[in-house]
Amino acid sequence: MSTASFKFDKADRSLMERLFEPPAVGKISPAASLVAHFLLIVWSLFVLFPIYWVIITSFKNAVTVNLGPFYIPFLDFQPDLDAWRTQFNTEPNCNFLGIARQFGLFFYNTFAVIISPLAEIQPMDPQICKIYHAFTNSIVVSIFSTAFCIAIGSMAAYALARIQYKPKFGNIMMFVGLTVLVIFATSYAGVPWWASSAVALALFFFLVRAFGKHFKRSLGNGDILFWIISQRILPPIVVVIPIYIMFQAVGLLDTHLALIIVYAVANLPIVVWLMHDFFANLPIELEESAQLDGATRLGIFWEIVLPLTRPGLAATTLLTLILNWNEYLFAVFLAYAKVQTMPIMVAAKNAGEKGIFWWEMSAIIVIMIIPVILMAILLTRFISRGVLLGAVKG
Amino acid sequence: MIGQPGIPPAGSSRSESWGEWFDRHSRTFFIAPAVTLILIFAVFPTFYSIVFALSRVRFTGDGLSFRFVGLQNFYKQFIGTEQVHFLGKIEAMDAFGLVFFIAVTAAVFWWLYRSLKTTTWIGMAGRAISAAMAIFLAWVIGATLLSGNPIGTLLTTLFYVIIGCALQFVIGLGLAFLCSQPVRAKNFFRVVFFIPLMITPLGVGFAMRMVADSSKGPLLPLFNLFGIGSWIWSADAWSARFVMMICDSWQWIPFIFICMLAALENVPRDHVEAAQVDGASSVQIFREITWPQIVPVAVTVLLIRMIEAFKIVDLPNIMTGGGPGTSTESMTLHSYYIWRANDFGSSAAIAYLLLILTVVICASFFNYVVLGQLRKARG
Amino acid sequence: MAAGSPKIPVRFDKIQKYFGTVKVLEEFDLDIAPGEFLVLLGASGSGKTTALRILSGLETATAGRVLIGDRDVTNVLPKYRDISMVFQSYALYPHKTVAENIGFPLKVRKVAKAEMNSAIREAAAQVQLEDLLDRYPRELSGGQRQRVALARAIIRRPSVFLMDEPLSNLDAKLRGYMRAELKHMQQTLGTTTIFVTHDQIEAMTLAHRVAILERGVLQQLATPAETYNDPANLFVAQFIGSPPMNTVRGSLEGRHFRTNGARIEAPVGGRVDKAILGVRPEDCSVVAPARGTLKGVIYTSELIGDHTLVTVDNGHDKLIVKAPKDFNGNQGDAIGVALRREHLYVFDATTGKRIR
Repeated sequence: MSTASFKFDKADRSLMERLFEPPAVGKISPAASLVAHFLLIVWSLFVLFPIYWVIITSFKNAVTVNLGPFYIPFLDFQPDLDAWRTQFNTEPNCNFLGIARQFGLFFYNTFAVIISPLAEIQPMDPQICKIYHAFTNSIVVSIFSTAFCIAIGSMAAYALARIQYKPKFGNIMMFVGLTVLVIFATSYAGVPWWASSAVALALFFFLVRAFGKHFKRSLGNGDILFWIISQRILPPIVVVIPIYIMFQAVGLLDTHLALIIVYAVANLPIVVWLMHDFFANLPIELEESAQLDGATRLGIFWEIVLPLTRPGLAATTLLTLILNWNEYLFAVFLAYAKVQTMPIMVAAKNAGEKGIFWWEMSAIIVIMIIPVILMAILLTRFISRGVLLGAVKG
Repeated sequence: MIGQPGIPPAGSSRSESWGEWFDRHSRTFFIAPAVTLILIFAVFPTFYSIVFALSRVRFTGDGLSFRFVGLQNFYKQFIGTEQVHFLGKIEAMDAFGLVFFIAVTAAVFWWLYRSLKTTTWIGMAGRAISAAMAIFLAWVIGATLLSGNPIGTLLTTLFYVIIGCALQFVIGLGLAFLCSQPVRAKNFFRVVFFIPLMITPLGVGFAMRMVADSSKGPLLPLFNLFGIGSWIWSADAWSARFVMMICDSWQWIPFIFICMLAALENVPRDHVEAAQVDGASSVQIFREITWPQIVPVAVTVLLIRMIEAFKIVDLPNIMTGGGPGTSTESMTLHSYYIWRANDFGSSAAIAYLLLILTVVICASFFNYVVLGQLRKARG
Repeated sequence: MAAGSPKIPVRFDKIQKYFGTVKVLEEFDLDIAPGEFLVLLGASGSGKTTALRILSGLETATAGRVLIGDRDVTNVLPKYRDISMVFQSYALYPHKTVAENIGFPLKVRKVAKAEMNSAIREAAAQVQLEDLLDRYPRELSGGQRQRVALARAIIRRPSVFLMDEPLSNLDAKLRGYMRAELKHMQQTLGTTTIFVTHDQIEAMTLAHRVAILERGVLQQLATPAETYNDPANLFVAQFIGSPPMNTVRGSLEGRHFRTNGARIEAPVGGRVDKAILGVRPEDCSVVAPARGTLKGVIYTSELIGDHTLVTVDNGHDKLIVKAPKDFNGNQGDAIGVALRREHLYVFDATTGKRIR
């Protein structure tokens, strides 16, 4: 059954084969290359056109926007810096002094957040340079929540990768029961929240002490990991109203801290999921030999494990940063004046009786997009190295 | 891992330093912050939301008052005043709808019957839940969509999720396949394709609204060419939904693209070369070698995308405000609008229904599709 | 499977291969006779795998031609070259059963099902895999997987077999067994086989001829016996044979080899300032210090089982000598080494070439 002359001669092959078969392994036939490039370019245009449109609209004004589509600056229409000027010059106070004050306040608030979270964060008066205000708010909230989220998330991920936890199923059920009791008590029976929470917490620890050893069934690391990662399924709209009430009760509405904490929690599942994968893939011998040398767990984590996962850590950080930068739902509920972030400012342009000033809107969108595009380009470098694939496979 | 680190050498009994105490309890300290935060800001509010959903909530002098009303808020959505908004217009099913409903119900029961012998009690309970959801959804679809009636936010959300994700997957996979071939400027395409994912959904909404504008948008010449120059896409329910889905796909196809591209590039080169020597054509190689290897990643990516898709809110909010009427409202948007109208109870009820819908559908997909594929892959 | 399938010659015609600016193969010229078992032997980076891949079509040569039979296949896709290949990692398709793996080459050529099934069974019988046809590769041991790869290679009865270090991933004992099986199968089928390896024992035992490569240049093309007894240069001499040939540095003056105070009668004449004398361990013997051609101290002695390997350090070079198994010298003892004159080789130290 020799197939020695199987289609060796070109004449034996079909038209499709001759057209699309590569001339050699690792190359591509001209016809196939044409089709592929054509499709890719079409999609690129589809991707880039809206972005292009936004960018040139930011250089238009009322006339050039409303009188129908103009496509090419300088040819179709004269570009106009009106929108940009409006953003940066609305208020008479929006000059160098005003901007300097903004930055000064920004640095001050940074330290205030670190030193005493509940203390005075100076209001960055929203009337001065709205765009700077929103921009700096976005930066502050994004960076801090990302740092917080990465720190907590990677520690938890590392713990889940190296330490065996065995929470008792019974304890968990007790906790859930007590939580429900607290909520019912606070809502229906009018018990003040701090009272019912304190009592429930004390009761919980007491009950765990008393009955903990009688519970047989326990869960493992895999279950805990699954629980953390599955928090991502929770639609934010479900928790947003209670969180609003909670922050209102402690007077933390419209503060940077509130957004930072909430953003951190929202992205914790992703961070834990990705970092767990990286940590689990590290050979354990490195850490074991460090342990034999007497290092503490925190020391091993900081000195040995983290440096080894730097690419993964960087990719996760960038991803979290981008997600925080773009977040809108929580911001709209929890922050209305002092902590306006960029997305809110974009949305605010929507509510005008005069109709939307598309050119101003575009300018704001461009300001919002630029940092993101830079971060995205950085992130693709990491992704193309297959850094994040392992997590998806798992 | 080896036992407790940091134990002082035998014979010396100095008191523990801070660092050592922290290290001894590092078990707890490493994981406590994450778990605590999730408990306080995710688990607790979820339960708290139940109370909202089960109550009538009123503003009083110094806060909120809750009055227990049982399942009334839910009742309102399914049978009461909000039925048309939520489920769609339900009248007697016509032939088309009836046939569909009966077919689906029959298939579901047959599936349940077949798995009776091979599944545990808990498994059967889970399957019963999935089956109930499937039958209910089939009934809603039959009664509204297939009977020519307008649909509500429940089906609109499902439309965005199911049809949207399917479209995104096909296009994303296609793009990934193209980019995995030896084409020039691969990296350029990779970066460009990745960008839409990173733009805030709000920005995407506004950008798309500008681009798709029927009176002064850039696509006007194109519309005129196809003879639909005076067509306003935002005035018709279904065209609005399609445009919404296309814009959502614009933003999310990159996600599928990136993941599938990475998967395609990680197919072992050996296998492909062996197939090439064995005599397979490119199509055969993809079908027989590549695709079976990437199916586990594909279904996982699809699951992740579906989970995110259920939360869609920014796009319909910005592009059409949920309109025309309520036809492009997703469930999240629906809940948000009700919240703005100060009916906290109903808002929480809708949110919870979305949670249930998401969990049941995603868990079903995970259990029956993803796990099956992963098990097949790992052996 | 009839043993009378046609035997096809293979030819590398002045093949050159560059990866960017790195030269991997240089003027590689090789004629392989029909039905021959040719082993490409070399260290990693020598270009042997590249040569094989160029022959298979998975790489394209920068210059030169490849001929299979009388056909110029230089620019032809692998699937039209009528070859089959066994990879080092076996490259078994993980989601296909053993039967589907073996039958894949026929399936993609759309062979009828009945014919395909009988061919699969025949190929499986040849490698003793008939009972495992329904298993998946992950359920098989290393040796079984290798046999599946072999069966997949032979099912089509191609003109040429290509094998890329197929035995490297097996443990030592299994390797010996599979070597014998491979040799037997090749003799039975008579197909021209090109076999790449870095293991000189495999080369010696399997090959009709061995082609030794180093850094892209062909060092010697000869039968195993010739490479052992008549190495063309120093590299070949030290690569073939275990333990490797001893080298003594010195100079060649007339008919004598001068080293470190000793004068040894050489088998060849000439005048070379930097020369190397080569002698295999089995052609040396340990003698009393006074009687030895070379004198030194025992560096170490290792009992192998049926003989002892004694390493002798004469301050200038180290020599390994095969001594009888009851040898009982100690480290540091003075010892002498006697050499058998007929089995001495002389090499030019600068070029490495053998001086004849």
